[in-house]
Amino acid sequence: MNTLLREAAASVQMGWLLGAMTVVFLVCFVGWIVYAYHPRNRELMEEMARMPLGDGGDS
Amino acid sequence: MERVATGTGAGVSETTVYDDQIVKMFFTATTVWALVGMLVGVIIALQLAWWPANLGLPWTTFGRLRPLHTNAVIFAFAGNVCFTGIYHSTQRLLKTRMYSDRLSRVHFWGWQSIIVAAAITLPLGMTQSKEYAELIWPIDVAITLVWVAFGVNFFGTLARRKVKHLYVAIWFYMSFVITIAVLHIVNSLVIPATLFRSYPIYAGLTDALVQWWYGHNAVGFFLTTPFLGLMYYYLPRAAQRPVYSYRLSIVHFWGLVFLYIWAGPHHLLYSALPDWAQTVGMVFSIMLLAPSWGGMLNGLLTLRGAWDRVRTDPILKFMVVAVSFYGMSTFEGPMMSIRAVNSLAHYTNWVIGHVHSGALGWVGMISFGMMYWMIQDIWKRKLAHPSWATHHFWLATIGIVLYTVAMWAAGLMEGLQWRALNDAGRLAHPIFLDITTRLEPFLWLRLLGGTLYLIGAIMMAVNFWQTIRGPERPADAAAVPAAA
Repeated sequence: MNTLLREAAASVQMGWLLGAMTVVFLVCFVGWIVYAYHPRNRELMEEMARMPLGDGGDS
Repeated sequence: MERVATGTGAGVSETTVYDDQIVKMFFTATTVWALVGMLVGVIIALQLAWWPANLGLPWTTFGRLRPLHTNAVIFAFAGNVCFTGIYHSTQRLLKTRMYSDRLSRVHFWGWQSIIVAAAITLPLGMTQSKEYAELIWPIDVAITLVWVAFGVNFFGTLARRKVKHLYVAIWFYMSFVITIAVLHIVNSLVIPATLFRSYPIYAGLTDALVQWWYGHNAVGFFLTTPFLGLMYYYLPRAAQRPVYSYRLSIVHFWGLVFLYIWAGPHHLLYSALPDWAQTVGMVFSIMLLAPSWGGMLNGLLTLRGAWDRVRTDPILKFMVVAVSFYGMSTFEGPMMSIRAVNSLAHYTNWVIGHVHSGALGWVGMISFGMMYWMIQDIWKRKLAHPSWATHHFWLATIGIVLYTVAMWAAGLMEGLQWRALNDAGRLAHPIFLDITTRLEPFLWLRLLGGTLYLIGAIMMAVNFWQTIRGPERPADAAAVPAAA
């Protein structure tokens, strides 16, 4: 194993927790990308892009 | 003065009265503290070029005025400008008044009192000696209480919103409110010894790591995410163009907040911190380039179809330069976090140049653009001197260029001379003071750049003062019409 990685592994505690958190964060991030780019949400995204001009502006 | 928005949800007409008084209060405080913070910056720039300017008094020496400058520009100027934009845009994006007017006032007066307390204690030499977290523990407690009041008010407003989806600016504001609370509390954990003195609960290296986890994320979540929220609201409004890609803004937000929080260890390269932890900081810093540039491009491309107006509209000029400097400083930062580059840059004036390209270029310019737009909107007045806004823009832009170029040149020179070896393998410049003396022309050039920037800010403040005192404009002559 790479010396750097061995040192890292040796100096952290509860490495399994850090690993699990990394996976959870990655899945969350991929989830947000899927949500943003899903064709079903296209209309919503276009509506939100106009929000400062319409709903979010002064009437 | 308050704005009235009407909606017809479910066939029932509703009227929402926004609290714009609190916006005006924060706006005014921003203008005042901008001048104070930048003036102190110019004074300490003079002290570095010409030491007798420290006046030989302990209260006016660089060591005490430097934290006063950083606290004033970050927490007084940038803090108040964030609150100005957040109180203004949150109500409009959520179609509701702030949750509690009382909490808004507690937030305002509490925050200004903290700033005054900082302005008294720092020149007196009362400090915790942690960069950007110098304030003594009683003030830290006050910050926590005021921040909680702000948080309750902000999330209370979210809870009673009249829209279903939260616009991306609100997400950026949420990250600001939550993360700053966590950073401030964790980094300020101390054991008080007296009213003015305390000792951190962390020791040695852990203290350093917690401090730079805080320090770098203060840049990330105090000077970046709330200002990106402001960019995503005020740039489309000023340009009258929808956001180029809302999808990209979502990826921008999540990418940025996931990565930023790990980048702090790049401040501790070549320190006693384990190598692997330094590498984690470096790698996450480099990855930050992707969401940062995604956001920069999203901002610039939002102007598609409005570029002709950039030639004539000073508000858009400020915003374009701000987003460009955001791009430049978020390229420079990851580059400087690379070990080999950091070995040259660390402890040199290059770092000062980098931070000011972000602070003056990104934070300052987006703030000025937003304020020139907002004063006409909430006070319902035309700018007293529209041409002064353009003069301010050019003074600020030239000032930043002089400042950063001077600091880059100074930093590279001293970094290279510190490490230079002669043929015998000995230091080519063994006398440290010689290298320091050679910096002098660059320090004067930096002073000139900072002075130009301050003159621009003074012109802005006078312009604002005369605008507010001027006649109210007719409702149909809005300088920046809002689409209904």
